[in-house]
Amino acid sequence: MPFETLLGAWVATGLTLFIFTFLYQDNPLFKLAEHLYVGVSVGYTIVKVYDTVIVRLLYEPMVNQGDWSLLVPLGIGMLMLARYFPKIAWLSRIAFAFIVGVGSGLAIPRIISSYILKQVEDTVRPLASLASGGGPTFTYNLLDPASNLNALVLLIGVVSVLFYFFFSIEHTGPVRVAARTGILFLMIAFGAAFGYTVMARMSLLIGRFTDLIEFADPRYGRATLWLLLATVATLIASGARRRDLRSCGTSSSLPSRSTMSSTSCSGTRPA
Amino acid sequence: MTFAERMLHIDRRIIFLVIGVCTLLPLLYPVGLAIKVSPEVRGVHDYIESLPEGSVFLLSMDFDPASKPELQPQAVALLRHAFKKNLRVIGMTLWVTGTGLADLVVSQAAQEMGKVNGKDYVFLGWSPGVGSLIITMGQDLYKAFPSDYNNQPTRELAVLKGIQTLRDVNYVVSLAAGTAGIESWYVYGKDKYKFELGGGCTGVIAPGLYPLLRSGQINGLIGGLRGAAEYETLIGQKGRAVAGMDAQSATHVAIIMLVILCNVFYLLIRTSRGQSGQPRG
Repeated sequence: MPFETLLGAWVATGLTLFIFTFLYQDNPLFKLAEHLYVGVSVGYTIVKVYDTVIVRLLYEPMVNQGDWSLLVPLGIGMLMLARYFPKIAWLSRIAFAFIVGVGSGLAIPRIISSYILKQVEDTVRPLASLASGGGPTFTYNLLDPASNLNALVLLIGVVSVLFYFFFSIEHTGPVRVAARTGILFLMIAFGAAFGYTVMARMSLLIGRFTDLIEFADPRYGRATLWLLLATVATLIASGARRRDLRSCGTSSSLPSRSTMSSTSCSGTRPA
Repeated sequence: MTFAERMLHIDRRIIFLVIGVCTLLPLLYPVGLAIKVSPEVRGVHDYIESLPEGSVFLLSMDFDPASKPELQPQAVALLRHAFKKNLRVIGMTLWVTGTGLADLVVSQAAQEMGKVNGKDYVFLGWSPGVGSLIITMGQDLYKAFPSDYNNQPTRELAVLKGIQTLRDVNYVVSLAAGTAGIESWYVYGKDKYKFELGGGCTGVIAPGLYPLLRSGQINGLIGGLRGAAEYETLIGQKGRAVAGMDAQSATHVAIIMLVILCNVFYLLIRTSRGQSGQPRG
């Protein structure tokens, strides 16, 4: 097995176990893994953005292909940096104006078309359909999204939820009934979303456990077992140190050197 | 303190342990519960199945390592299917933090299926912009990606022969962990350039994407690890997703049982307080 694969397996196993230790209690191993995660993510992003944007999309086309028109977007982008100099900070507004203008121009028509018009079109469906014989028919199959019964449920759901979010009139009488129905639909939607979230979180746990099981194999030097032992030993040592500090009259957080020196181990807090 | 009160104040680490054991045991000793394929997953599968050999399939892996357990099995299953059908595969990502992972997924699946980089598939990597990037791809693919991930000029690649814009792509699937993802591909891509679009996503964002499915804005949706397991079943190549389904079912049963027990204990406490005249709450 290549060395980098082996190293990757040990690092992944160790960091997974370190993060899992938070389920027991906060500890230095978790902090180490957490800080590494943030640092590596930011470092990776900076390197990829520099390589893709500065080198591949700007420098190489300009220098190798002579595409000097790229100086225009480069110049607009550089104006952003003017914010760091108070005297010329106003220049950055030109770049922001360009971004907001182009962004809005691109997004507004497309989003209205995709999220409003298309969804309204799908909501307004016929409540009865024509059977093969020619007469109107009503289909009751709840499992078929295109059935007439589901079109009716959709209509009631949309109208009642809209009533719930209609605050210009008091929710009394028929409006109250509609708003209450809307709450029911909202609760079902929240329940479905929460169910999917639980499923997703469990999937992540399964993914990590699958890797841990794989890395417990002798091909990987039984990384999971050795690192699990090391992690448990560190947790025990960390727990023992916490208990010592607590018995010396300090809280669970580590005391400063000066506090340590003035702390007696008689079980009383320093004045 | 009654038994019910003690149970409601149980150390949460015991619950973590229960969930951990319920996850680990089925992974070590799988049962092989049946997997029923849903129409939304079949929608993606059937469309790829209907494409003739040499058609262009673009897979946008819009996720980062945080969503790897759910979306990598989906990507692997889709790539295996596309390579098996001898489609021309274009890989890319809209998430800068997912670039390395996406490259690894594509190259490993291609190696497994005996495909050659540049001839049978290409990984374009990441480029900034999301909306403007998709629009640029719709106007000129080579302007959006002058070179691929390995810095090879895209115009010289055999796999891209005859492809000028997104209009020449037969099927786009976005595997999304959030924004940018399926919605971006629809809003800036399909709605304008009229290619067929399918989706795969994490469980968390799946409920929000069902309206797009129902309205026909996407022709299929693979939701979470469960969706990946269904896709693996459809192509007959069982992998990590199918292996995880027993554990998924076991944890779901455990959580349902815990929810029921908590409610029972809560009701017991309320009833006993009501009988002894104490305030309920």
